[in-house]
Amino acid sequence: MSPGHPGAQHVVSSLMRESLMDKGVIAGTESPSPVRAILPKLNVIQIGGLSIMDRGHEAVLPLLEEIVASQDEHTQVIGVGPGVRARHILSVGLDLGLPTGALATLAAKSSAQNAYMVSCLLASRGFVYLEAPFIVQLLPAMLAAARGAVFNGIPPYDLWEHPPALGKIPPHGSDAGSYLVGEVFGARSIILLKDVDGLYTADPKTHPEARFIPEIRAADLIRMRLPALPIEPVVLDLLTRAKLAKSIRIVNGLVPGNLSRALAGDQVGTLIHA
Amino acid sequence: MVEATDDAALTELGRRLVGGSLSDAAIQRATEATPNFAILPWANVVKIGGQSIMDRGRSAVGPVVDEVVANLHRHKMILGTGAGTRARHVYSLAIDLGLPVGVLTVLGTAVAWQNAQMLQYLLAKHGIAFLEPESFSSLPHYLMERGAVICQGMPPYKLWEANPSLGRIPPQRTDTGCFLIAEVFGARKMIYVKDEDGLYTADPKKDRSATHIPRIGAQELLAKDLNDLVVERAVLELMLTARNIKEIQFVNGLKPGQLTAALDGEPVGTVIYVADAPAGGAR
Repeated sequence: MSPGHPGAQHVVSSLMRESLMDKGVIAGTESPSPVRAILPKLNVIQIGGLSIMDRGHEAVLPLLEEIVASQDEHTQVIGVGPGVRARHILSVGLDLGLPTGALATLAAKSSAQNAYMVSCLLASRGFVYLEAPFIVQLLPAMLAAARGAVFNGIPPYDLWEHPPALGKIPPHGSDAGSYLVGEVFGARSIILLKDVDGLYTADPKTHPEARFIPEIRAADLIRMRLPALPIEPVVLDLLTRAKLAKSIRIVNGLVPGNLSRALAGDQVGTLIHA
Repeated sequence: MVEATDDAALTELGRRLVGGSLSDAAIQRATEATPNFAILPWANVVKIGGQSIMDRGRSAVGPVVDEVVANLHRHKMILGTGAGTRARHVYSLAIDLGLPVGVLTVLGTAVAWQNAQMLQYLLAKHGIAFLEPESFSSLPHYLMERGAVICQGMPPYKLWEANPSLGRIPPQRTDTGCFLIAEVFGARKMIYVKDEDGLYTADPKKDRSATHIPRIGAQELLAKDLNDLVVERAVLELMLTARNIKEIQFVNGLKPGQLTAALDGEPVGTVIYVADAPAGGAR
């Protein structure tokens, strides 16, 4: 409150002396100057942990070949998810009573390992592994010099991860982190590689009548309240507030050619949009 | 080649976590039943306001520093700093340049960092260290040895800050960062040092009939949907899901003694509490 703060030494700006909690002040920042895309040619590709990485070379190597084959045409940064080791440390950490922020810090190391492995496999093609501080400082320079980058899909929320509404599992995983990288840089596309063809109205393994959803608005998907999604639910909330990255595509990374088709803008998998 | 884990070594919840979807509500619910271990139950998180304290310079910062020093042997304090007027300037410039929210967070973090450095210079002769988020594992040592430690208040979200539902100012700033430090450590107290006695029914500088609010529920405050708030909205929303921190306190740093009173557990300033947080709070 106290917008005046008499006695404080102010720097003149349109927000000077204003409360940043004031709704009118917040609304006033919406325009007039639109948000610009920092890296509009960027494609963010997320390799799932449990769905792709944990399957080993049979699943991973064909995907990396596809990434390499697209190198000349598309600028790609690769986020990687954590997989089964994160599930294991969540289990042990929960049993010990550790809070969500501690669990998030621990789980992020598992996806860092996966990202590091992917970067080794792509190293000869000029990909670099970038930790969060280097994404902040170096990504544009690296993409100008190097041929691509690999990053930890889990965002650097660490101890500052939000306690979720239900339970204690960190809500911002590698889907959220990869989406947020795409949003902040204004990426051309965000493609999440999983081991399912996309979204269904129910789990097709147990519900043969389940229908495939090729395209859906994030808000509509939230309203459907599906019991389990192939992506983190928080990504849907983030999409409803998107400024630049207004869609994500979920594709089956186990099917050869899917990634290339998604990069080409073809309708493959499920598109979730703002 | 999916490598199986040794199921026998896992708890029943562990087996479900390894095999199931983390977004499955049934699995999430099962994690509710796990114990809550408080990592630093004797630590107090104290946020020193940016615009409200730091920007005022010596007249406001000096007495707050004196009060911190006087409490070094009485209470363990994690001191986080706010950003203030330079953040407002850089936010307004960056918005004008068309930069996204994540970039604004990086910029705002630098301002909170500057304030934390200045506070650290003033407390250095008492052996007080400044820690970056990456060094937080050393924090228990500094707290036990010296009684306090300084950090910048912004959460380390950097480019990964989520967009707000309205506007382009990062919604999770130093109030939120300090709150989440208190929450993850299961801290004893979360105290915000600002330049008012807490909450009033209206702005006391403009409305003489405004009355002081000593205690109010977070839900009640959110339901009022006020145009302006004493704290970032994100803090009130996070309080509803927090497991450890059930109340936060706002004191006037311009009135010597209020911080000490709050550290001593006295009901000074305003307390915002959440009555029915999810099951299993540490205290």
